[in-house]
Amino acid sequence: MKFYKEHYDVIIMGAGLAGLSAALQLQARGITDILILEKHNLPGGLATSYVRNGIEIEATLHEMMSIGSKEDRLKVGTFFDEMGIDIDWLKVPEAYRFIEKTKKIDITLHSGFETMSNEIDAQYPGWGDKVYDFMNLCNRVYNSMNILSVTPMSKPEMLKKHPDFVKTVGYSAKQVMETYKFPQDIVDILTPYWIYVGNPMSSLPFTIYAFLMADYFRGGSYVCRNFSHEMSMKLQAKVEENGAQIEFRQEVEKILVRNKKVYGVRTKRGDEIFSDYVISAAYPNKVYTQMIEPLSEVPAGAIKMVNARKLSVCPVSVMMVLDGTPEELGIRDYNVFSGDTMDTDKIWENYHTLGPYGYLTSICLNLANPDCTPEGYTQFSITALPLVDPFLDVKETEYHALKRRLASEMIANYEETTGVNIHDHIVEIEVETPVTVAHYVGAWKGSIYGYSHSLDDHAVARLQMKEEDHFIEGLEFAGAHGISGNGMGPAVTNGRAAAKGVLDSRKEQKEDYRLVSGYMKLADMLNRRKGADK
Amino acid sequence: MKIESFLKDVGGASRVTAARREKFRKGSPIPEPEDPIRALSDALHPDKIRFIVTDVRDVSPTSKTWRLRSTDGHIPIFQSGQYVCFHLQIGNSVLNRPYSISSAPFESKCDNPFIEVTIRRNRPYFVPDYFFDHVKVGEVLWGSMPFGTFYYEPLRDSKNVVAIAGGSGITPFVSMAREIAAGWLDVNLTIIYGSVHSSDIVCGRELDEIDRKCDKVKVVHVMSDDPDWQGEKGFVNREIIEKYSGEDTTYMFCGPYAMYTFVEKTMKEMGVPAGKFRKDAIAQPDVSLIPGYPSDKKDEVYTIKVMRGIHEDIIQAAASEPVAVAVERAGIALDTHCRGGECGMCRSQLLEGEIFVSPIGDGRRRMDKELGWFHACSAYPMSDLVIKIPIL
Repeated sequence: MKFYKEHYDVIIMGAGLAGLSAALQLQARGITDILILEKHNLPGGLATSYVRNGIEIEATLHEMMSIGSKEDRLKVGTFFDEMGIDIDWLKVPEAYRFIEKTKKIDITLHSGFETMSNEIDAQYPGWGDKVYDFMNLCNRVYNSMNILSVTPMSKPEMLKKHPDFVKTVGYSAKQVMETYKFPQDIVDILTPYWIYVGNPMSSLPFTIYAFLMADYFRGGSYVCRNFSHEMSMKLQAKVEENGAQIEFRQEVEKILVRNKKVYGVRTKRGDEIFSDYVISAAYPNKVYTQMIEPLSEVPAGAIKMVNARKLSVCPVSVMMVLDGTPEELGIRDYNVFSGDTMDTDKIWENYHTLGPYGYLTSICLNLANPDCTPEGYTQFSITALPLVDPFLDVKETEYHALKRRLASEMIANYEETTGVNIHDHIVEIEVETPVTVAHYVGAWKGSIYGYSHSLDDHAVARLQMKEEDHFIEGLEFAGAHGISGNGMGPAVTNGRAAAKGVLDSRKEQKEDYRLVSGYMKLADMLNRRKGADK
Repeated sequence: MKIESFLKDVGGASRVTAARREKFRKGSPIPEPEDPIRALSDALHPDKIRFIVTDVRDVSPTSKTWRLRSTDGHIPIFQSGQYVCFHLQIGNSVLNRPYSISSAPFESKCDNPFIEVTIRRNRPYFVPDYFFDHVKVGEVLWGSMPFGTFYYEPLRDSKNVVAIAGGSGITPFVSMAREIAAGWLDVNLTIIYGSVHSSDIVCGRELDEIDRKCDKVKVVHVMSDDPDWQGEKGFVNREIIEKYSGEDTTYMFCGPYAMYTFVEKTMKEMGVPAGKFRKDAIAQPDVSLIPGYPSDKKDEVYTIKVMRGIHEDIIQAAASEPVAVAVERAGIALDTHCRGGECGMCRSQLLEGEIFVSPIGDGRRRMDKELGWFHACSAYPMSDLVIKIPIL
């Protein structure tokens, strides 16, 4: 029985947002002979949902950035529009409510630079203008980053056109923010999103922080009316409509390499399928230490690279359906960040443990999407984003008890912070950990956020080192481990970048071919002429 | 506002690139292929387990319990109420069947770990027949586990649990009772257990023994057709349920569909909140009992084109049977788990044709409904179909 063709132009491992976006990008440029192999039985990777007793539950921290309103579309929104993918986006009502319990800070910020700086000004009179200036700096860096990530530029030109970007690129978020001499409360209020690109503010590149702040506060964030699964399914449908073959329940076990060049993959069930290009959603760590066959084809530099890089945070998320409407339960906020401290170095320390976790983010989906549950219920989640390190030693026999302890601590923490009673209203509850992620999507060590953004693993450096990070011809990576980093928006961008890698390489090969065939024609001509001369 | 202090520094990009290059240069050259998180996830959810039958015993005149050990000595941790899914080949059919595990979780964690499943055959039935006639001591069975969300969840459920069971629906509660009796689970469990006649109670003797020995477990037998029975008689109704319920109770139900509809109604009448009534996945009943099933179609036979990758098979399918059954009968592997429409493991793509999806346990995602994805275990062909399923 033959389930696959012998050969495909491109094989994509993983039907997550990155893999599907890579396929769309390739299709837009005329490459349609594509096979996508997905481990799970549905698309989307982490952008998915599940059903418990008839209620669909969002499986992820799902605020989508880089979409923008219909009038001010941002990068990902524009891409979806161009690809003909029509998603029913709902704008989330507020950026966040932030509660710092020790200093009793309690403030809610909405998107729009002016709006949010006014909201800060209302509590800290006189500082609104400076916050506004700061957000505009973030926005200029954001715009520059979007341009520079696709358009190479000479240094003088860059300095002329993107001075703020150039001047801040070498500094941490903390260092740049310090030049504004904000009172500590305002620094705290502007910090909560840091964990989505985690590394403490002292070592988090300002560029990345600015990107996140500008994107979220300029365009606001969006959720799909029919959960993240809507986005994943619509991407899949379009990719299939464009002619790709997608097969679920197919985990790729080996990537076949000869002379530093990819020639195919082998699935867990044993199918060998050939292609000159493979786009991998599997982490480079896994690819270079387990998957390349033979492993002797893996260059030393690839091993040094994956060993040197540090994984970013992983999720501990308590996902619940509650009995009662948000109003009845007293839940007023879509998104709350809360903690005893906003000192990110201290939070980082706490996130190197197995809890109890102090810094939490909670989401009440109904407040962005009232139809996400049947009437009379609320969909609610609480998330901490620790490092994976403390989970590495967890034993099988301890696992369930650990999950329950973390969940009950997080629920108690939220209840204490907001005065809302959760535990008497739980109808459905699931606890997601890095182990859950490893189980469903197979991500390396249960990671969801790729490699840590730091001053010594800076997105700008990643961009500049693109060529030297590329070790095997025809092998591209698309996922949170890509240059743009983690998050559902960047996953789309990373997928497109992987497609570009394939397209560029094919172009080069075509040029090589043209060159070679040109020489052959020339030689032929000369030979013929020689013959004629005789 | 200017960012004064950085005005003159234009070397940032080169500096961060040099730093990254230096960091990579210092990286260890020794490959680190270990992923303990994936290893833990694989231990908790192994792909396939090779079981060997080590004991078969009668637990009522019509039911037997099979004890299984895994050949590699490891059984993944499960919670009372979860099930094992057996991968079987019977004749030309390739199929999966779920069975609630009737042994206790602690028994799969100790030395010589095992699980048990209890199966009843009170009339000829395809898979029970196979177990009763062919699965003897020494036989190898392939399966995977644990699955299902029907278990006591301390984060949500009350310490006082009233379990309502009908017939072989007792098995998850046998597991729970054993776990409580051994001191591994701190729950006060009352089992209201409906049987037809006291001469044939599945696991009756074992439950009565636990009831005697353990004051946290109480078993209330209710006989529907046994005039000489001294205890509760008739069907499990509101009066009986209320009689044995205390304050703050979580109700758990496992039994046939007809009984479920009755119990669910009773729970509503009693005003039990949604979170305090849990039910196990319910196997799809005969189509005559499925609400909304177009009965005029039930004798039709259709053709299904089944696509796996670029491969196609053409099979026959009766309108009265789920698509999954037709696929299994044709010898095509399809990974079904709960067989009640809920878990979504048999999620398949409808490319052409009409199906009827049973409303019982319909666990499809909204977008799946809209874009034509369905769960094969609970969808019935209403015309010739073209479907796509995973390659297994």
